[in-house]
Amino acid sequence: MKKQLLSMTVNGEAVELAVSPNATLLEVLRDQLDYTGVKEGCSEGVCGACTVLLDGNPVRSCLTLALEADGASLITIEGIASEGKLHQIQQAFIDNGAVQCGFCTPGMILSSKALLDRNSDPSDEDIKTALAGNFCRCTGYAKILAAVRSAARDKKGGGC
Amino acid sequence: MQLPQFDYHAPDTLEKALALKGNLGGMAPVLAGGTDLIVHLKQRLFSPAAVISLRNIKSLRGIETRADAIVIRAATPLAEIARDTSIQEHFPALVKAVNSIGATGIQAFRGTIGGNLCLQPRCILYNQSRFWRTGKGSCHRTGGKDCLALPGSESCHSVCSADTVPVLAAFSGQLTIAGSGGVRQIPVSDFFTGKGESPFKITPDEMVTEIRLPLPWAPASSAYHRLGMRSAVDFPLANAAATAIMQDGKVETFRLVISSAGPAPVVLKEAEALIRGNKPDGAMIDQVRLMARRMAEGVVVENSSISKDYRIKMLGVMTARAVKDVLGFAGPDR
Repeated sequence: MKKQLLSMTVNGEAVELAVSPNATLLEVLRDQLDYTGVKEGCSEGVCGACTVLLDGNPVRSCLTLALEADGASLITIEGIASEGKLHQIQQAFIDNGAVQCGFCTPGMILSSKALLDRNSDPSDEDIKTALAGNFCRCTGYAKILAAVRSAARDKKGGGC
Repeated sequence: MQLPQFDYHAPDTLEKALALKGNLGGMAPVLAGGTDLIVHLKQRLFSPAAVISLRNIKSLRGIETRADAIVIRAATPLAEIARDTSIQEHFPALVKAVNSIGATGIQAFRGTIGGNLCLQPRCILYNQSRFWRTGKGSCHRTGGKDCLALPGSESCHSVCSADTVPVLAAFSGQLTIAGSGGVRQIPVSDFFTGKGESPFKITPDEMVTEIRLPLPWAPASSAYHRLGMRSAVDFPLANAAATAIMQDGKVETFRLVISSAGPAPVVLKEAEALIRGNKPDGAMIDQVRLMARRMAEGVVVENSSISKDYRIKMLGVMTARAVKDVLGFAGPDR
């Protein structure tokens, strides 16, 4: 099993690595690139803790071979704050008490970002559908929903 | 969970992919979105020598509207299918089925229609990690010669758990399959063997390249109903798809396909014969519900997270709902 060259952009930075064919994107992001904000929850593509944005689309990095991301642009939770300021969705999660243990939070935020990037005025149903693949064992989801609603409102109101 | 070791190929043409498949055959599955394959590999259900990624093969992606059909290439992502306006217009039940797969917010970008069509049938005693399975004996699919769910059975009863399968069959979909021997067509409803250990009529050197859905010859109604534990993420526990074309108050064309029972979808021919050529009648719905139950009784075994009895009853209910919808009956669900 020969290693192959993987070239991709992660959080705006060009990256080139030799990876094994059987390495998942989750493993490469965490173990080789130190993006430990990408979490391993179930490892079988159900819980959403491993969610990253691949060319803007939320994907389960535990089920994506790293080599499948060759040439792609990835965003992890570490990549959405800018110049020391939290992303509006991150701030909304804090302001609305939507974080308890925090393990689901990176995935939740990235799935929410993908939603708001393509639908700036989501209904509650839209939000629930977008987040259906991200599980939370702590919060009971209500405050997460409130956080996404408020982030959508702020975004509409001209927030960043 | 770590994946087993394998080589990785990402050919840029279908011909190159087929050449690899010709050489490596069953030891080199194709990789589209990987949302089924990678889980199988993690669970050590099989260990291929290589995977053949379809990511660079442009000719395997896209939706083409022709004069008489819509052709969907096999590696087209589900999200693309759900937002295609021609499919929304002519095959709305397919959009509903696609939106039922996994958690659409995440699944739809990686999952593909070919991947769902070729979803390996599922069994609660099979789709488990290798460690979990060491507590049970082997079965038809893991090197043994028996079925853990129905001991003494000569073949595997795993469940066809794909949302799109009954819908593609109800729309009389046709598959194009390419391999070293050339290209062939097969109706979706004929693609399944009914045996969980080798569920598809496809040889190791072949792959599905496209799905052709003939456009209805007149305005048609279609419906898809499924039962799931939760509103997303879960595989269907019972599902049914129906299509109908009415002319002058009579049902001229009618297709009814049930799935999530055994390894293959079942075209409910008895129900089709009852309804086709006749005026829709409320009494038909109950008759069809009982036909679906009778069929299910012969096929469903205890290999799911819910009981066989409940699945049989629910197959009847999902079938009745699909028929009610396409024949235009309103009223409370049964």
